[in-house]
Amino acid sequence: MRAMQIFNSGFFWFIEGILCVVMILGLRAFMRERGIPMPAWKWVVFGVWVLFAGFTIAFVGTSLGEGEPTAATRGGLLFGLIAVIGGAGAWRALVSGRDPGERAQVTDS
Amino acid sequence: MSDSDSGTNPNRRDFIKIAGVASAAAGGAGLGMFGYAAGQDPASYLGWQNQEGASLIFERKHYEVDVPTYEKIGPTSRPDARVENIFDRRGSFMRQLRSGGEFEEPLKSYYEKHPEDLELDRLSAEEIIPKRMADEAEYGDRFFLSQAWSDAMGAVGPDPIDSPPEENDFPRDRRGTPIEPVKLKGPEMTARLIKKLAMQFGSTLVGITELNPDWVYAYPLRRRGFENPDEPLEVPEHWKYAIVVGTPMSWDPMYANPNYGTSNDAYSRSRIIATRLEAFIKALGYPARTHIPGNSYDLMVPPIAIDAGLGQQGRHGVLITPELGSNFRPAVVTTNIPMKTDRPIDIGVEDFCKHCKICAEVCPSGSITMEGKVEVRGYRRYAIDTAKCLNFWMSNLGNMGCRLCVSACPYTRKANWLHKSAVRITAADPTGLSDRALTGLQKSFYPGPDPEDYYIPSLGGDNASYREPPWWLRTEDFIDLG
Ligand code: SF4
Ligand code: SF4
Repeated sequence: MRAMQIFNSGFFWFIEGILCVVMILGLRAFMRERGIPMPAWKWVVFGVWVLFAGFTIAFVGTSLGEGEPTAATRGGLLFGLIAVIGGAGAWRALVSGRDPGERAQVTDS
Repeated sequence: MSDSDSGTNPNRRDFIKIAGVASAAAGGAGLGMFGYAAGQDPASYLGWQNQEGASLIFERKHYEVDVPTYEKIGPTSRPDARVENIFDRRGSFMRQLRSGGEFEEPLKSYYEKHPEDLELDRLSAEEIIPKRMADEAEYGDRFFLSQAWSDAMGAVGPDPIDSPPEENDFPRDRRGTPIEPVKLKGPEMTARLIKKLAMQFGSTLVGITELNPDWVYAYPLRRRGFENPDEPLEVPEHWKYAIVVGTPMSWDPMYANPNYGTSNDAYSRSRIIATRLEAFIKALGYPARTHIPGNSYDLMVPPIAIDAGLGQQGRHGVLITPELGSNFRPAVVTTNIPMKTDRPIDIGVEDFCKHCKICAEVCPSGSITMEGKVEVRGYRRYAIDTAKCLNFWMSNLGNMGCRLCVSACPYTRKANWLHKSAVRITAADPTGLSDRALTGLQKSFYPGPDPEDYYIPSLGGDNASYREPPWWLRTEDFIDLG
Protein backbone atom coordinates (compact mmCIF):
# COMPACT_ATOMS: atom_id res chain seq x y z
CA MET A 1 0.00 0.00 0.00
CA ARG A 2 2.75 2.39 1.02
CA ALA A 3 4.76 1.48 -2.08
CA MET A 4 1.82 2.50 -4.27
CA GLN A 5 1.73 5.92 -2.64
CA ILE A 6 5.20 6.60 -4.00
CA PHE A 7 4.04 5.75 -7.52
CA ASN A 8 0.97 7.95 -7.18
CA SER A 9 2.84 10.84 -5.64
CA GLY A 10 4.41 12.19 -8.82
CA PHE A 11 7.89 11.82 -7.33
CA PHE A 12 8.24 8.47 -9.05
CA TRP A 13 7.42 10.00 -12.43
CA PHE A 14 9.81 12.86 -11.76
CA ILE A 15 12.62 10.35 -11.22
CA GLU A 16 11.50 8.35 -14.27
CA GLY A 17 11.68 11.57 -16.28
CA ILE A 18 15.22 12.26 -15.10
CA LEU A 19 16.22 8.71 -15.98
CA CYS A 20 14.74 9.13 -19.46
CA VAL A 21 16.66 12.35 -20.01
CA VAL A 22 19.89 10.73 -18.87
CA MET A 23 19.15 7.79 -21.17
CA ILE A 24 18.62 10.12 -24.11
CA LEU A 25 21.81 12.08 -23.32
CA GLY A 26 23.70 8.81 -23.03
CA LEU A 27 22.43 7.57 -26.37
CA ARG A 28 23.26 10.90 -27.97
CA ALA A 29 26.80 10.85 -26.59
CA PHE A 30 27.24 7.24 -27.69
CA MET A 31 26.13 8.00 -31.23
CA ARG A 32 28.24 11.14 -31.48
CA GLU A 33 31.29 9.34 -30.29
CA ARG A 34 30.86 6.88 -33.13
CA GLY A 35 29.94 9.47 -35.70
CA ILE A 36 26.45 8.09 -36.21
CA PRO A 37 23.88 10.69 -37.20
CA MET A 38 20.63 10.76 -35.20
CA PRO A 39 17.91 12.26 -37.39
CA ALA A 40 14.39 12.70 -35.97
CA TRP A 41 13.08 9.35 -37.27
CA LYS A 42 15.71 7.49 -35.25
CA TRP A 43 14.55 9.23 -32.09
CA VAL A 44 11.01 8.18 -32.93
CA VAL A 45 12.13 4.55 -33.36
CA PHE A 46 14.00 4.74 -30.09
CA GLY A 47 11.01 6.31 -28.30
CA VAL A 48 8.58 3.69 -29.59
CA TRP A 49 10.87 0.89 -28.47
CA VAL A 50 11.38 2.41 -25.02
CA LEU A 51 7.61 2.78 -24.62
CA PHE A 52 6.97 -0.80 -25.70
CA ALA A 53 9.69 -2.23 -23.48
CA GLY A 54 8.36 -0.15 -20.59
CA PHE A 55 4.83 -1.42 -21.31
CA THR A 56 6.08 -5.01 -21.23
CA ILE A 57 7.73 -4.58 -17.84
CA ALA A 58 4.72 -2.75 -16.43
CA PHE A 59 2.36 -5.40 -17.83
CA VAL A 60 4.24 -8.19 -16.09
CA GLY A 61 4.39 -6.23 -12.84
CA THR A 62 0.71 -5.27 -12.91
CA SER A 63 -0.40 -8.81 -13.75
CA LEU A 64 1.64 -10.26 -10.91
CA GLY A 65 0.36 -7.54 -8.60
CA GLU A 66 -3.26 -8.30 -9.37
CA GLY A 67 -2.77 -12.04 -8.92
CA GLU A 68 -2.76 -13.12 -12.58
CA PRO A 69 0.49 -15.12 -12.93
CA THR A 70 -0.64 -16.74 -16.20
CA ALA A 71 -1.18 -13.32 -17.76
CA ALA A 72 2.22 -12.23 -16.42
CA THR A 73 4.01 -15.27 -17.87
CA ARG A 74 2.27 -15.40 -21.22
CA GLY A 75 2.23 -11.62 -21.63
CA GLY A 76 5.85 -11.39 -20.55
CA LEU A 77 6.85 -14.04 -23.11
CA LEU A 78 4.81 -12.58 -25.95
CA PHE A 79 5.57 -8.91 -25.40
CA GLY A 80 9.12 -9.69 -24.26
CA LEU A 81 9.81 -11.57 -27.48
CA ILE A 82 8.42 -8.71 -29.53
CA ALA A 83 10.52 -6.27 -27.51
CA VAL A 84 13.72 -8.30 -28.03
CA ILE A 85 13.18 -8.81 -31.76
CA GLY A 86 11.96 -5.24 -32.17
CA GLY A 87 14.92 -4.04 -30.10
CA ALA A 88 17.40 -5.85 -32.35
CA GLY A 89 15.75 -4.32 -35.42
CA ALA A 90 15.62 -0.90 -33.82
CA TRP A 91 19.28 -1.09 -32.88
CA ARG A 92 20.28 -1.92 -36.46
CA ALA A 93 18.27 1.06 -37.61
CA LEU A 94 19.80 3.34 -35.01
CA VAL A 95 23.39 2.47 -35.89
CA SER A 96 22.79 2.75 -39.62
CA GLY A 97 24.32 5.62 -41.62
CA ARG A 98 27.60 5.62 -39.71
CA ASP A 99 30.05 8.16 -41.08
CA PRO A 100 33.55 7.80 -39.53
CA GLY A 101 34.62 11.08 -41.08
CA GLU A 102 32.20 12.98 -38.87
CA ARG A 103 33.65 11.65 -35.67
CA ALA A 104 36.25 14.36 -35.13
CA GLN A 105 33.79 17.17 -35.76
CA VAL A 106 31.04 15.98 -33.51
CA THR A 107 33.00 14.92 -30.45
CA ASP A 108 33.92 18.43 -29.42
CA SER A 109 30.75 20.31 -30.29
CA MET B 1 38.61 30.32 -17.66
CA SER B 2 38.12 32.14 -20.97
CA ASP B 3 35.56 31.13 -23.58
CA SER B 4 38.30 29.91 -25.83
CA ASP B 5 39.84 27.90 -22.99
CA SER B 6 36.62 26.11 -22.28
CA GLY B 7 35.89 25.48 -25.94
CA THR B 8 32.43 27.09 -25.78
CA ASN B 9 31.33 30.29 -27.46
CA PRO B 10 29.35 33.09 -25.78
CA ASN B 11 26.13 32.22 -27.66
CA ARG B 12 26.20 28.70 -26.42
CA ARG B 13 26.99 29.71 -22.89
CA ASP B 14 24.12 32.20 -22.92
CA PHE B 15 21.84 29.54 -24.24
CA ILE B 16 22.80 27.13 -21.49
CA LYS B 17 22.23 29.82 -18.91
CA ILE B 18 18.82 30.71 -20.31
CA ALA B 19 17.96 27.03 -20.56
CA GLY B 20 18.99 26.64 -16.91
CA VAL B 21 16.72 29.47 -15.82
CA ALA B 22 13.88 28.18 -18.01
CA SER B 23 14.32 24.66 -16.58
CA ALA B 24 14.22 26.04 -13.06
CA ALA B 25 11.05 27.99 -13.88
CA ALA B 26 9.43 25.01 -15.61
CA GLY B 27 10.48 22.67 -12.80
CA GLY B 28 9.12 25.09 -10.20
CA ALA B 29 5.87 25.54 -12.11
CA GLY B 30 5.59 21.76 -12.48
CA LEU B 31 6.06 21.28 -8.77
CA GLY B 32 3.46 23.96 -8.09
CA MET B 33 0.97 22.24 -10.39
CA PHE B 34 1.76 18.88 -8.87
CA GLY B 35 1.18 20.36 -5.40
CA TYR B 36 -2.15 21.83 -6.48
CA ALA B 37 -3.26 18.52 -8.03
CA ALA B 38 -2.14 16.62 -4.93
CA GLY B 39 -4.09 19.01 -2.73
CA GLN B 40 -7.21 18.45 -4.81
CA ASP B 41 -6.70 14.74 -5.40
CA PRO B 42 -9.87 12.82 -4.49
CA ALA B 43 -7.60 9.98 -3.38
CA SER B 44 -6.55 12.18 -0.45
CA TYR B 45 -10.09 11.91 0.94
CA LEU B 46 -9.05 8.68 2.57
CA GLY B 47 -12.00 6.34 2.98
CA TRP B 48 -14.27 8.78 1.15
CA GLN B 49 -12.84 8.51 -2.36
CA ASN B 50 -16.06 7.33 -3.92
CA GLN B 51 -18.01 10.14 -2.37
CA GLU B 52 -15.70 12.55 -4.16
CA GLY B 53 -16.34 10.88 -7.51
CA ALA B 54 -12.84 9.47 -7.71
CA SER B 55 -14.02 6.50 -9.68
CA LEU B 56 -15.56 8.61 -12.41
CA ILE B 57 -12.27 8.51 -14.21
CA PHE B 58 -13.80 7.76 -17.58
CA GLU B 59 -14.61 10.81 -19.65
CA ARG B 60 -18.09 9.92 -20.90
CA LYS B 61 -18.57 13.07 -22.98
CA HIS B 62 -16.67 11.67 -25.98
CA TYR B 63 -18.88 8.61 -26.08
CA GLU B 64 -22.32 10.15 -25.60
CA VAL B 65 -24.94 9.21 -28.18
CA ASP B 66 -28.47 10.44 -28.86
CA VAL B 67 -30.23 7.10 -28.55
CA PRO B 68 -29.36 4.11 -26.38
CA THR B 69 -27.45 1.31 -28.10
CA TYR B 70 -30.19 -1.30 -27.69
CA GLU B 71 -32.40 -1.46 -30.75
CA LYS B 72 -36.14 -0.93 -30.74
CA ILE B 73 -37.54 -2.91 -33.64
CA GLY B 74 -41.28 -3.12 -33.14
CA PRO B 75 -44.21 -2.49 -30.86
CA THR B 76 -43.08 -2.81 -27.28
CA SER B 77 -44.74 -4.21 -24.19
CA ARG B 78 -43.94 -4.25 -20.50
CA PRO B 79 -42.61 -7.40 -18.82
CA ASP B 80 -44.95 -9.50 -16.71
CA ALA B 81 -42.85 -10.02 -13.61
CA ARG B 82 -45.08 -12.83 -12.35
CA VAL B 83 -43.79 -15.19 -15.03
CA GLU B 84 -40.92 -13.39 -16.75
CA ASN B 85 -38.99 -12.65 -13.58
CA ILE B 86 -37.43 -15.97 -12.74
CA PHE B 87 -37.44 -15.40 -8.98
CA ASP B 88 -41.10 -14.49 -8.93
CA ARG B 89 -42.03 -17.42 -11.17
CA ARG B 90 -39.90 -19.95 -9.30
CA GLY B 91 -41.43 -18.76 -6.01
CA SER B 92 -44.97 -19.26 -7.33
CA PHE B 93 -43.97 -22.60 -8.85
CA MET B 94 -42.61 -23.91 -5.53
CA ARG B 95 -45.67 -22.67 -3.61
CA GLN B 96 -48.09 -24.23 -6.08
CA LEU B 97 -46.05 -27.44 -6.32
CA ARG B 98 -46.25 -27.89 -2.55
CA SER B 99 -49.96 -27.25 -2.45
CA GLY B 100 -50.51 -29.87 -5.21
CA GLY B 101 -53.17 -29.74 -7.91
CA GLU B 102 -53.11 -27.70 -11.12
CA PHE B 103 -51.04 -24.60 -11.65
CA GLU B 104 -52.98 -21.35 -11.32
CA GLU B 105 -52.91 -18.43 -13.74
CA PRO B 106 -50.75 -16.82 -14.99
CA LEU B 107 -48.36 -19.74 -14.40
CA LYS B 108 -50.65 -22.21 -16.13
CA SER B 109 -50.78 -20.35 -19.44
CA TYR B 110 -47.07 -19.56 -19.24
CA TYR B 111 -46.12 -23.23 -18.88
CA GLU B 112 -48.45 -24.16 -21.72
CA LYS B 113 -46.51 -21.77 -23.93
CA HIS B 114 -43.10 -22.62 -22.46
CA PRO B 115 -43.05 -26.32 -21.50
CA GLU B 116 -39.21 -26.22 -21.48
CA ASP B 117 -39.36 -23.82 -18.52
CA LEU B 118 -41.69 -26.14 -16.62
CA GLU B 119 -39.12 -28.91 -17.14
CA LEU B 120 -36.33 -26.72 -15.83
CA ASP B 121 -38.38 -25.52 -12.85
CA ARG B 122 -39.20 -29.13 -12.00
CA LEU B 123 -35.59 -30.20 -12.45
CA SER B 124 -34.55 -27.68 -9.84
CA ALA B 125 -37.08 -28.87 -7.26
CA GLU B 126 -36.81 -32.58 -7.92
CA GLU B 127 -33.15 -33.16 -8.69
CA ILE B 128 -30.85 -30.19 -8.26
CA ILE B 129 -31.85 -29.01 -4.79
CA PRO B 130 -31.83 -32.52 -3.26
CA LYS B 131 -28.39 -33.21 -4.78
CA ARG B 132 -27.05 -29.91 -3.49
CA MET B 133 -28.32 -30.70 -0.01
CA ALA B 134 -26.58 -34.06 -0.10
CA ASP B 135 -23.30 -32.50 -1.26
CA GLU B 136 -23.60 -29.73 1.28
CA ALA B 137 -23.20 -32.22 4.11
CA GLU B 138 -20.01 -33.54 2.56
CA TYR B 139 -18.32 -30.50 1.00
CA GLY B 140 -20.15 -27.46 2.38
CA ASP B 141 -17.82 -26.72 5.33
CA ARG B 142 -15.23 -25.21 3.01
CA PHE B 143 -17.55 -22.31 2.29
CA PHE B 144 -18.47 -21.56 5.88
CA LEU B 145 -16.51 -18.30 6.10
CA SER B 146 -17.68 -17.01 2.75
CA GLN B 147 -21.29 -17.70 3.73
CA ALA B 148 -20.83 -16.04 7.10
CA TRP B 149 -19.26 -13.03 5.38
CA SER B 150 -22.05 -12.87 2.81
CA ASP B 151 -24.74 -13.04 5.51
CA ALA B 152 -23.00 -10.28 7.45
CA MET B 153 -22.75 -8.07 4.37
CA GLY B 154 -26.45 -8.52 3.69
CA ALA B 155 -27.48 -8.01 7.30
CA VAL B 156 -27.93 -4.26 7.06
CA GLY B 157 -30.58 -2.74 4.86
CA PRO B 158 -33.80 -0.79 5.02
CA ASP B 159 -37.15 -2.54 5.34
CA PRO B 160 -38.75 -3.15 1.98
CA ILE B 161 -41.44 -0.68 0.99
CA ASP B 162 -44.83 -1.97 2.03
CA SER B 163 -47.26 0.48 0.49
CA PRO B 164 -48.18 1.41 -3.10
CA PRO B 165 -46.67 4.46 -4.85
CA GLU B 166 -49.54 6.86 -4.15
CA GLU B 167 -49.08 6.26 -0.41
CA ASN B 168 -45.39 5.60 0.02
CA ASP B 169 -43.78 8.02 -2.38
CA PHE B 170 -45.14 11.38 -1.22
CA PRO B 171 -43.34 13.20 1.59
CA ARG B 172 -45.21 13.99 4.78
CA ASP B 173 -44.14 15.49 8.05
CA ARG B 174 -44.50 13.71 11.39
CA ARG B 175 -48.14 14.71 11.67
CA GLY B 176 -48.86 13.29 8.23
CA THR B 177 -49.24 16.66 6.52
CA PRO B 178 -47.88 16.74 2.95
CA ILE B 179 -44.57 18.62 2.65
CA GLU B 180 -44.50 21.46 0.11
CA PRO B 181 -41.70 21.14 -2.50
CA VAL B 182 -38.91 23.72 -2.18
CA LYS B 183 -38.26 26.10 -5.07
CA LEU B 184 -35.20 24.87 -6.93
CA LYS B 185 -32.76 26.92 -8.99
CA GLY B 186 -33.01 24.88 -12.17
CA PRO B 187 -32.66 21.27 -13.39
CA GLU B 188 -28.92 21.49 -14.00
CA MET B 189 -28.14 22.60 -10.45
CA THR B 190 -30.53 19.98 -9.05
CA ALA B 191 -28.88 17.19 -11.05
CA ARG B 192 -25.50 18.35 -9.77
CA LEU B 193 -26.74 18.37 -6.21
CA ILE B 194 -28.43 14.97 -6.49
CA LYS B 195 -25.30 13.39 -7.98
CA LYS B 196 -23.05 14.87 -5.33
CA LEU B 197 -25.38 13.66 -2.59
CA ALA B 198 -25.67 10.18 -4.11
CA MET B 199 -21.89 9.93 -3.97
CA GLN B 200 -21.90 11.35 -0.47
CA PHE B 201 -24.28 8.54 0.41
CA GLY B 202 -21.76 6.04 -0.94
CA SER B 203 -22.57 5.56 -4.62
CA THR B 204 -19.71 4.81 -6.98
CA LEU B 205 -21.57 5.84 -10.14
CA VAL B 206 -24.70 7.94 -10.63
CA GLY B 207 -26.80 8.57 -13.71
CA ILE B 208 -30.12 10.28 -14.34
CA THR B 209 -32.67 9.58 -17.07
CA GLU B 210 -36.31 10.11 -17.88
CA LEU B 211 -38.04 6.85 -17.08
CA ASN B 212 -39.10 4.85 -20.14
CA PRO B 213 -42.37 3.15 -19.08
CA ASP B 214 -41.37 0.05 -21.10
CA TRP B 215 -39.03 -0.85 -18.25
CA VAL B 216 -41.73 -0.86 -15.57
CA TYR B 217 -43.21 -4.26 -14.79
CA ALA B 218 -46.74 -4.76 -16.10
CA TYR B 219 -47.68 -6.36 -12.77
CA PRO B 220 -45.99 -5.61 -9.48
CA LEU B 221 -43.00 -7.79 -8.71
CA ARG B 222 -43.02 -6.46 -5.21
CA ARG B 223 -46.21 -8.03 -3.92
CA ARG B 224 -46.12 -6.41 -0.53
CA GLY B 225 -47.96 -3.14 -0.40
CA PHE B 226 -50.09 -3.68 -3.46
CA GLU B 227 -53.65 -4.48 -2.62
CA ASN B 228 -54.03 -6.77 -5.57
CA PRO B 229 -50.72 -7.75 -7.12
CA ASP B 230 -52.58 -9.37 -10.01
CA GLU B 231 -53.96 -6.00 -11.10
CA PRO B 232 -51.87 -4.34 -13.83
CA LEU B 233 -49.47 -1.73 -12.46
CA GLU B 234 -50.14 1.73 -13.89
CA VAL B 235 -46.93 3.71 -14.23
CA PRO B 236 -47.43 6.60 -11.78
CA GLU B 237 -47.06 10.07 -13.27
CA HIS B 238 -44.57 11.09 -10.60
CA TRP B 239 -42.13 8.39 -11.78
CA LYS B 240 -40.86 10.85 -14.33
CA TYR B 241 -37.15 10.43 -13.69
CA ALA B 242 -34.99 7.53 -12.61
CA ILE B 243 -31.77 8.08 -10.70
CA VAL B 244 -29.47 5.09 -10.93
CA VAL B 245 -26.96 4.56 -8.12
CA GLY B 246 -24.83 1.59 -7.14
CA THR B 247 -21.56 0.08 -6.04
CA PRO B 248 -19.30 -2.79 -7.10
CA MET B 249 -19.01 -6.10 -5.28
CA SER B 250 -15.75 -6.64 -3.38
CA TRP B 251 -13.25 -7.39 -6.12
CA ASP B 252 -11.20 -10.31 -4.77
CA PRO B 253 -14.15 -12.50 -3.70
CA MET B 254 -15.92 -11.55 -6.93
CA TYR B 255 -13.10 -13.13 -8.93
CA ALA B 256 -13.51 -16.28 -6.82
CA ASN B 257 -17.08 -16.81 -8.05
CA PRO B 258 -19.28 -18.77 -8.01
CA ASN B 259 -18.50 -19.93 -4.47
CA TYR B 260 -16.84 -17.07 -2.65
CA GLY B 261 -18.30 -13.93 -4.16
CA THR B 262 -21.57 -12.48 -2.97
CA SER B 263 -24.04 -9.99 -4.33
CA ASN B 264 -24.98 -9.14 -0.76
CA ASP B 265 -22.19 -6.66 -0.12
CA ALA B 266 -23.01 -4.39 -3.05
CA TYR B 267 -26.75 -5.03 -2.74
CA SER B 268 -26.71 -3.90 0.85
CA ARG B 269 -24.75 -0.73 0.08
CA SER B 270 -26.90 0.10 -2.95
CA ARG B 271 -30.06 -0.33 -0.85
CA ILE B 272 -28.74 2.05 1.77
CA ILE B 273 -27.66 4.64 -0.81
CA ALA B 274 -31.03 4.57 -2.60
CA THR B 275 -32.92 4.83 0.69
CA ARG B 276 -30.86 7.82 1.77
CA LEU B 277 -31.46 9.45 -1.59
CA GLU B 278 -35.20 8.83 -1.31
CA ALA B 279 -35.16 10.47 2.14
CA PHE B 280 -33.19 13.45 0.83
CA ILE B 281 -35.53 14.05 -2.11
CA LYS B 282 -38.53 13.74 0.16
CA ALA B 283 -36.97 16.26 2.54
CA LEU B 284 -36.96 18.67 -0.40
CA GLY B 285 -40.71 18.05 -0.69
CA TYR B 286 -40.69 15.86 -3.82
CA PRO B 287 -42.00 12.30 -4.19
CA ALA B 288 -39.44 9.49 -4.38
CA ARG B 289 -39.43 5.71 -4.31
CA THR B 290 -36.61 3.20 -4.17
CA HIS B 291 -36.33 0.11 -6.37
CA ILE B 292 -33.68 -1.94 -4.68
CA PRO B 293 -31.97 -5.32 -4.74
CA GLY B 294 -32.39 -8.27 -4.02
CA ASN B 295 -35.94 -8.31 -5.37
CA SER B 296 -37.68 -5.15 -4.27
CA TYR B 297 -38.16 -3.60 -7.69
CA ASP B 298 -41.10 -2.32 -9.67
CA LEU B 299 -38.95 -2.02 -12.77
CA MET B 300 -36.05 -3.58 -14.68
CA VAL B 301 -32.83 -1.81 -13.81
CA PRO B 302 -30.24 -2.57 -16.57
CA PRO B 303 -32.02 -0.75 -19.42
CA ILE B 304 -32.65 2.23 -17.14
CA ALA B 305 -28.94 2.35 -16.29
CA ILE B 306 -28.20 2.30 -20.03
CA ASP B 307 -30.61 5.21 -20.60
CA ALA B 308 -28.87 7.06 -17.75
CA GLY B 309 -25.51 6.82 -19.53
CA LEU B 310 -23.86 4.43 -17.11
CA GLY B 311 -22.98 1.78 -19.67
CA GLN B 312 -24.25 -0.75 -22.18
CA GLN B 313 -25.75 -4.22 -21.91
CA GLY B 314 -23.43 -7.14 -22.59
CA ARG B 315 -24.12 -10.54 -24.12
CA HIS B 316 -24.57 -11.84 -20.58
CA GLY B 317 -27.47 -9.46 -20.02
CA VAL B 318 -25.64 -7.48 -17.36
CA LEU B 319 -24.81 -3.79 -17.53
CA ILE B 320 -21.19 -3.05 -18.52
CA THR B 321 -19.82 0.26 -17.28
CA PRO B 322 -16.47 1.66 -18.44
CA GLU B 323 -15.22 2.01 -14.85
CA LEU B 324 -16.33 -1.27 -13.25
CA GLY B 325 -17.21 -3.50 -16.18
CA SER B 326 -20.08 -5.74 -15.10
CA ASN B 327 -19.14 -5.48 -11.43
CA PHE B 328 -21.87 -2.99 -10.60
CA ARG B 329 -24.99 -3.56 -8.50
CA PRO B 330 -27.44 -0.80 -9.19
CA ALA B 331 -30.55 0.52 -7.47
CA VAL B 332 -33.01 3.11 -8.74
CA VAL B 333 -34.93 6.00 -7.22
CA THR B 334 -37.94 7.23 -9.18
CA THR B 335 -39.04 10.81 -8.64
CA ASN B 336 -40.37 13.93 -10.35
CA ILE B 337 -37.86 16.41 -8.96
CA PRO B 338 -36.89 18.33 -12.13
CA MET B 339 -33.34 17.37 -13.14
CA LYS B 340 -31.09 17.59 -16.19
CA THR B 341 -30.75 14.07 -17.55
CA ASP B 342 -27.63 12.26 -18.77
CA ARG B 343 -27.15 10.92 -22.30
CA PRO B 344 -26.56 7.27 -23.11
CA ILE B 345 -23.06 6.22 -24.11
CA ASP B 346 -21.52 3.93 -26.70
CA ILE B 347 -18.14 2.57 -25.60
CA GLY B 348 -18.14 -0.19 -28.21
CA VAL B 349 -19.65 -3.00 -26.10
CA GLU B 350 -22.07 -4.03 -28.87
CA ASP B 351 -19.22 -4.71 -31.28
CA PHE B 352 -16.98 -6.24 -28.65
CA CYS B 353 -19.62 -8.76 -27.56
CA LYS B 354 -20.13 -9.92 -31.16
CA HIS B 355 -16.66 -11.52 -31.20
CA CYS B 356 -15.86 -12.05 -27.54
CA LYS B 357 -18.40 -14.61 -26.23
CA ILE B 358 -16.18 -15.37 -23.23
CA CYS B 359 -19.18 -15.26 -20.87
CA ALA B 360 -21.01 -17.79 -23.04
CA GLU B 361 -17.97 -20.08 -23.03
CA VAL B 362 -17.52 -19.79 -19.27
CA CYS B 363 -21.18 -20.17 -18.26
CA PRO B 364 -21.57 -23.63 -16.68
CA SER B 365 -25.30 -23.85 -17.44
CA GLY B 366 -25.19 -22.75 -21.06
CA SER B 367 -27.59 -19.90 -20.28
CA ILE B 368 -25.83 -17.32 -22.43
CA THR B 369 -26.33 -17.55 -26.16
CA MET B 370 -23.49 -17.95 -28.65
CA GLU B 371 -25.87 -16.76 -31.34
CA GLY B 372 -27.01 -13.29 -32.33
CA LYS B 373 -29.72 -11.20 -30.73
CA VAL B 374 -33.43 -11.99 -30.69
CA GLU B 375 -36.52 -9.84 -30.27
CA VAL B 376 -37.76 -9.49 -26.71
CA ARG B 377 -40.87 -7.32 -26.21
CA GLY B 378 -40.02 -5.14 -29.21
CA TYR B 379 -36.30 -4.77 -28.47
CA ARG B 380 -33.32 -6.70 -29.80
CA ARG B 381 -31.16 -8.30 -27.14
CA TYR B 382 -29.17 -11.43 -26.41
CA ALA B 383 -31.36 -14.20 -25.04
CA ILE B 384 -30.55 -15.41 -21.53
CA ASP B 385 -32.04 -18.63 -20.27
CA THR B 386 -32.80 -17.48 -16.74
CA ALA B 387 -34.26 -20.85 -15.69
CA LYS B 388 -31.02 -22.67 -16.54
CA CYS B 389 -29.05 -19.92 -14.84
CA LEU B 390 -31.08 -20.17 -11.63
CA ASN B 391 -30.74 -23.95 -11.69
CA PHE B 392 -26.99 -23.55 -11.55
CA TRP B 393 -27.38 -21.08 -8.69
CA MET B 394 -29.46 -23.63 -6.82
CA SER B 395 -26.81 -26.29 -7.27
CA ASN B 396 -24.00 -24.13 -5.99
CA LEU B 397 -22.50 -24.84 -2.56
CA GLY B 398 -20.89 -21.47 -1.91
CA ASN B 399 -22.85 -18.25 -1.68
CA MET B 400 -26.19 -17.84 -3.38
CA GLY B 401 -25.78 -17.06 -7.07
CA CYS B 402 -23.02 -17.59 -9.60
CA ARG B 403 -21.80 -14.34 -11.25
CA LEU B 404 -19.13 -16.19 -13.25
CA CYS B 405 -20.14 -14.26 -16.35
CA VAL B 406 -19.43 -11.08 -14.41
CA SER B 407 -16.00 -12.28 -13.23
CA ALA B 408 -14.82 -13.52 -16.62
CA CYS B 409 -16.01 -10.56 -18.70
CA PRO B 410 -12.94 -8.69 -20.01
CA TYR B 411 -14.54 -5.39 -18.98
CA THR B 412 -14.68 -6.55 -15.35
CA ARG B 413 -11.13 -5.72 -14.46
CA LYS B 414 -9.82 -3.52 -11.72
CA ALA B 415 -9.44 0.18 -12.47
CA ASN B 416 -5.71 0.18 -13.15
CA TRP B 417 -3.83 1.70 -16.09
CA LEU B 418 -3.69 -1.58 -17.99
CA HIS B 419 -7.36 -2.46 -18.12
CA LYS B 420 -8.68 1.06 -18.35
CA SER B 421 -6.36 1.70 -21.31
CA ALA B 422 -7.82 -1.39 -22.99
CA VAL B 423 -11.35 -0.03 -22.47
CA ARG B 424 -10.32 3.31 -23.96
CA ILE B 425 -8.70 1.62 -26.95
CA THR B 426 -11.75 -0.51 -27.80
CA ALA B 427 -14.06 2.45 -27.24
CA ALA B 428 -12.09 4.67 -29.61
CA ASP B 429 -11.26 2.12 -32.32
CA PRO B 430 -13.93 2.07 -35.06
CA THR B 431 -12.23 -0.76 -37.03
CA GLY B 432 -12.95 -3.59 -34.60
CA LEU B 433 -9.34 -4.79 -34.90
CA SER B 434 -8.57 -4.00 -31.27
CA ASP B 435 -11.70 -5.93 -30.20
CA ARG B 436 -10.39 -9.06 -31.86
CA ALA B 437 -6.83 -8.60 -30.64
CA LEU B 438 -7.88 -7.93 -27.05
CA THR B 439 -10.34 -10.83 -27.05
CA GLY B 440 -7.56 -13.16 -28.23
CA LEU B 441 -5.21 -11.89 -25.53
CA GLN B 442 -7.94 -12.13 -22.90
CA LYS B 443 -8.64 -15.77 -23.74
CA SER B 444 -4.97 -16.65 -23.70
CA PHE B 445 -3.90 -14.61 -20.66
CA TYR B 446 -6.84 -15.12 -18.31
CA PRO B 447 -7.92 -18.75 -18.58
CA GLY B 448 -10.21 -20.33 -16.00
CA PRO B 449 -11.46 -23.82 -15.12
CA ASP B 450 -13.59 -25.77 -17.58
CA PRO B 451 -17.30 -24.88 -17.25
CA GLU B 452 -18.26 -28.35 -15.98
CA ASP B 453 -15.72 -28.10 -13.12
CA TYR B 454 -17.83 -25.41 -11.46
CA TYR B 455 -20.54 -27.95 -10.65
CA ILE B 456 -20.83 -29.81 -7.36
CA PRO B 457 -19.35 -33.33 -7.30
CA SER B 458 -22.70 -35.10 -7.52
CA LEU B 459 -23.39 -33.20 -10.73
CA GLY B 460 -19.97 -34.08 -12.18
CA GLY B 461 -17.85 -31.11 -11.10
CA ASP B 462 -15.37 -30.28 -8.36
CA ASN B 463 -16.69 -27.03 -6.85
CA ALA B 464 -14.16 -24.98 -8.84
CA SER B 465 -13.90 -21.20 -8.56
CA TYR B 466 -12.78 -18.82 -11.32
CA ARG B 467 -9.89 -17.61 -9.15
CA GLU B 468 -8.57 -18.60 -5.73
CA PRO B 469 -10.43 -16.98 -2.82
CA PRO B 470 -8.74 -14.20 -0.85
CA TRP B 471 -6.94 -15.40 2.29
CA TRP B 472 -9.65 -14.12 4.62
CA LEU B 473 -12.31 -16.37 3.08
CA ARG B 474 -10.38 -19.64 3.34
CA THR B 475 -12.32 -21.43 6.05
CA GLU B 476 -9.74 -24.19 6.38
CA ASP B 477 -7.06 -21.66 7.42
CA PHE B 478 -9.09 -20.32 10.36
CA ILE B 479 -11.52 -22.95 11.51
CA ASP B 480 -10.79 -26.48 12.59
CA LEU B 481 -13.04 -28.49 10.31
CA GLY B 482 -12.31 -31.71 12.20
S1 SF4 C 1 -24.73 -16.24 -13.50
FE1 SF4 C 1 -23.56 -18.12 -13.97
S2 SF4 C 1 -25.08 -19.56 -14.70
FE2 SF4 C 1 -26.00 -17.52 -14.80
S3 SF4 C 1 -25.58 -16.78 -16.85
FE3 SF4 C 1 -23.90 -16.04 -15.57
S4 SF4 C 1 -22.33 -17.62 -15.76
FE4 SF4 C 1 -24.22 -18.52 -16.49
S1 SF4 D 1 -17.68 -11.63 -21.69
FE1 SF4 D 1 -17.41 -10.75 -23.71
S2 SF4 D 1 -19.29 -11.27 -24.81
FE2 SF4 D 1 -19.68 -11.53 -22.64
S3 SF4 D 1 -20.54 -9.59 -21.98
FE3 SF4 D 1 -18.36 -9.50 -21.56
S4 SF4 D 1 -17.53 -8.53 -23.41
FE4 SF4 D 1 -19.57 -9.23 -23.95
